Amino acid sequence: MPKCTINGKEVEVKEGTTIIKAMVDAGERIAHYCWHDGLSVAGVCRLCMVEIEGNPRVQIACNTTITEGMKINNTSEKVKEAVKWGLDFHLINHPLDCPICDQAGECGLQDQYMEYGKYDPEMAEPKQKKKKVVDLGPTVVLDSERCILCSRCVRFTEEVSKTNELGIFNRGDRSEIGTHDGMPLDNKYSLNTVDICPVGALTSKDFRFRQRVWYLKDAETVCNGCATGCNVKVYYNKEGFFRVKPVYNENVNGYWMCDEGRDIYKFVNRETRLLKAQVRSNSGWSEMPAGAAAKHAHELLKTTSGDSLALVLTAQYTVEEFDAIVSTFVNEFKTKKIYFWINNKETFDNFDGILLRGDKNPNTKGLLKVLEKHGITATWNDLSQGLASGAIKTVVVAGPENQAVFPDFHERVKELSKAQNLIWLQAGKNEALMSLTGNVWLIPMKTFVEKDGTFINHAGLEQKFKKVTTVVSEALTLTEAALLMSGKNLAIPTAQPFLPLNQRPDQVELEARKKNEFVFRRGSL
Amino acid sequence: MAEVKLLTEFYHLPEYQTLAGYKAKGGYETLVKALKMQPQAIIDEVKASGLRGRGGAGFPTGMKWGFLPKNNEPRFLLCNADEGEPGTFKDRMMMERAPHQLIEGMIISAFAIGSNKGYIYVRGEYVYPIECLKKALKEAYDAGLLGKNILGSGFDFDLDVYRGAGAYICGEETGMISSLEGLKGQPKLKPPFPAVQGYLRKPTIVNNVETLAAVTYIVRDGAQAYRKNGTEKSAGTKLFSLSGNVMKPGNYEVPLGYPLMDLIMKEGGGMKPGRRLKAVIPGGSSAPVLTAEEVAKANLDYESLAGLGSMLGSGAVIVMDDSQCMVDMLGVLTHFYAHESCGQCTPCREGTGWLDKILHSILEGRGRLQDIDLLIKIADNMKGKTICALSDAAALPVLSFVTKFRDEFEFYVREGRSKVKGTTYAEMHH
Amino acid sequence: MSVMQNNSEKAKWYLPGVLGGLGITMKHLLKNLFNRKKMMTLNYPEEKYEYSPRFKGNHVLTVKKDGSLRCTACMLCATNCPAECIKITAAEHNDPSVEKYPISYEIDILRCVFCGFCEEACPVDAIRLGPEWQTPGVNGANFIYDINHLAYRPTLRGGIQTHVDDEERHKAGI
Repeated sequence: MPKCTINGKEVEVKEGTTIIKAMVDAGERIAHYCWHDGLSVAGVCRLCMVEIEGNPRVQIACNTTITEGMKINNTSEKVKEAVKWGLDFHLINHPLDCPICDQAGECGLQDQYMEYGKYDPEMAEPKQKKKKVVDLGPTVVLDSERCILCSRCVRFTEEVSKTNELGIFNRGDRSEIGTHDGMPLDNKYSLNTVDICPVGALTSKDFRFRQRVWYLKDAETVCNGCATGCNVKVYYNKEGFFRVKPVYNENVNGYWMCDEGRDIYKFVNRETRLLKAQVRSNSGWSEMPAGAAAKHAHELLKTTSGDSLALVLTAQYTVEEFDAIVSTFVNEFKTKKIYFWINNKETFDNFDGILLRGDKNPNTKGLLKVLEKHGITATWNDLSQGLASGAIKTVVVAGPENQAVFPDFHERVKELSKAQNLIWLQAGKNEALMSLTGNVWLIPMKTFVEKDGTFINHAGLEQKFKKVTTVVSEALTLTEAALLMSGKNLAIPTAQPFLPLNQRPDQVELEARKKNEFVFRRGSL
Repeated sequence: MAEVKLLTEFYHLPEYQTLAGYKAKGGYETLVKALKMQPQAIIDEVKASGLRGRGGAGFPTGMKWGFLPKNNEPRFLLCNADEGEPGTFKDRMMMERAPHQLIEGMIISAFAIGSNKGYIYVRGEYVYPIECLKKALKEAYDAGLLGKNILGSGFDFDLDVYRGAGAYICGEETGMISSLEGLKGQPKLKPPFPAVQGYLRKPTIVNNVETLAAVTYIVRDGAQAYRKNGTEKSAGTKLFSLSGNVMKPGNYEVPLGYPLMDLIMKEGGGMKPGRRLKAVIPGGSSAPVLTAEEVAKANLDYESLAGLGSMLGSGAVIVMDDSQCMVDMLGVLTHFYAHESCGQCTPCREGTGWLDKILHSILEGRGRLQDIDLLIKIADNMKGKTICALSDAAALPVLSFVTKFRDEFEFYVREGRSKVKGTTYAEMHH
Repeated sequence: MSVMQNNSEKAKWYLPGVLGGLGITMKHLLKNLFNRKKMMTLNYPEEKYEYSPRFKGNHVLTVKKDGSLRCTACMLCATNCPAECIKITAAEHNDPSVEKYPISYEIDILRCVFCGFCEEACPVDAIRLGPEWQTPGVNGANFIYDINHLAYRPTLRGGIQTHVDDEERHKAGI
């Protein structure tokens, strides 16, 4: 374990560590564009200069391994001058696009200029003109003029997604990123290139121009798109959620996430949500607040016998919620007719080798664990038979948040509507539900970003996540619904309004964000 | 002193190109001698001779061979016949007139370093030299001088010619290796060095055509005989490609240490009638230019030219007389480097383009006085910060031209036309 | 004590103060009677005050030579506005040299404090505070100004041209 001195501090590192990795781990600031911990070393931006004692020239930090007793510093005037000129060379052909570029606020060039630059530019010649707004594929748009040719995206398609779609064409200052003839950037991980691009050359078609990043707050949570459970950061403000980016987790997803997980913010926003509970009786649909609807359902449930009551669960809720509702049904309503609604049995065990899994529910293992704990062994056939014969009169369904991954939604709704009384707990709207007949309760639920909880992923890893914000404040969590349906009142949480800033649980952790690269510096907004 | 024809002794004979003609003048006898020696002995002989790389860098060849790992890992010998440095045309002459000289040198070198596979990377534009090489290779294979069990010694060596596709950057050793591997011809990061991890991640030695051909003569005559020519630190003879405003341009083989003025005036036949010497680029376009006074003090060896702030380089001596406009000349050079930069690392990619744009602004009459200082600043900050030496090669001529001939640049900026020729750029290149 | 106390003899009596005040009023009355020109009062609406050219009145969104909006929806004005009264929605333009433009630009004029920070923040001279200030709203008036009003209202006579034109910038190669 060689020891070295970085900017005066002594650091001990593992054998074979490069200087830049040691500096980033130790929290030192070093300018860089082309180095990324999850990709191979390219050494093309020439910005990560450091001065090593004993070497007359400045060296790049990304390709130099640390040896015993190395003395490294990147605060001397020589290094600062080298970095300033490296930055100058990057900027001489860069277009004046900050007003229309999405990356403003989290741009590598902007950040490094404010830190190392602040010089008067001397380029008085016409800039190099290249193609703008190039459609690279179904998800990504390229702007060649903004590209600084760090080759991160090229290395990504070579090493991580292994699809080799991107390359650098032409040479010299006519170089451009592009795809080969007839092969668009079309793989399931393409939006990661937008994340790693330090400038606004690659932009996401989904997010393009929708919001300025300094208007967004971010919070970490766990993706609920599939059983991998990638750690993600969701960006949101008063108007809703805007995008999803991955967070590094050594054990689960590394640095990346798949494109399907990028869409998880869509079913959380208000437009797609059930806002008020809808209760249908003989006189038609009536609206009422969610809590009142649950209490109304309680009136029915307290008279229902355990034999004619069934509970259907989808694996998209947290472990704590499953525990609450299952124990309510087992202990209070005395029924063991609890069924697991599996959405895609055939493709359940698929795995594409990188991150995507066939099981599109985040908490299958969690649900199975809870069911096992309470000794539930019922299968879906029992439910079908019970509904067909009329033995089961009341069904409570905890419907899916992410309806897109339930291709059999409509058939199941038809099947479950055979019951006399249907209590459907769901976060999102669906016309199939509004066209039901019989006694129906549609109660809005909270989505995964609005509650604290635990998901257990495919490998049995428990991941706890915190509440991000509230989108529909009237909606209930499954725990609250279980409490209300069993006739109890909700516990009012003790007010803690005046916690100091560093103890408030909903405050974004600024220290961790400082370690992330090119993180937007949020202003006072 | 005069020309010493060590390598070029028989180049005037047209039959020297063929195997029979080459053998008639003592060809391949050294190969027989070498195959009986120990490989390490050959390496020691080359080290003792002080042979330095003749392609431009001047790195001691024996030392380079000594970096190879001493195990049984398969290794490659690559011959750099890309000859991209502007002004150089010596390797072309060797490949056209004496391809067997190169082949024999390569077989001996491969035997010394333990390599069984070699490539000759020739620039794509050399259509005729490639033909000559291919013919010579066929003759060698047919005669059992290449392939399996060469001359019954048990040593196998396969040699192929690989054609380049028009990139100066593929003359850089790792750029060449990338190109041979089928990738884009872009240099790789060093470390790891090619002698440790090169072509296909195996140990690779890259040497210039002339260096490999000289190995034959070192093995034939011995290190001490080779050292009889040249100086203490720069041993042996070298081919110099003399071009520009001289009476007799061409390739000349002289011992290292030969006075530069003599090469121009004696061998080169001197200036054209009525013209004076103004400047000389002694080692290919990447070498800093020398004024006429400095030329009088210069000897053609690595130390003397380095002492004057220039370098021996590939040995391409470009002579300029007083009819040459320095601004125009620099414009040609910056355009070359801007076109040939591979574009990987930022200082070179943007810097060469920027230098070219400024030069063209000046040439077209739109220059500003601060542009001249700006050229110096840019060139200073491009040096020493890149993956390969193309950035230095582009910066050094700019620095030397602007510092030594600053009055011409200032005149051009102020008046919009050349001081020497009196005409504008459009008139010079109509 | 922050109140000044005046303990002089004159202040203790009531009438001298009153008479003094009345005297000032009479002085001004007589001055104005005999010297109409020097009177400070403006006979509004016949006479109006001439504001300086830098006066910050109603907003104007400038247009390019072809009449389209100059604004590139960079949202710097909305960010800088201390009253948070500017709401912009950006969209992609079909022409790649324009690329980004606002499909909706609203200023809530009742919130606006006419500080001029938006004009200072704009990098492309898209928004200016013009000389108009007399814009009362009648019954049912809309106090949220949209692009139509800000750029193309009748008093602007087709649109104010911006000083920063991208065409020249592109030609110069920047």
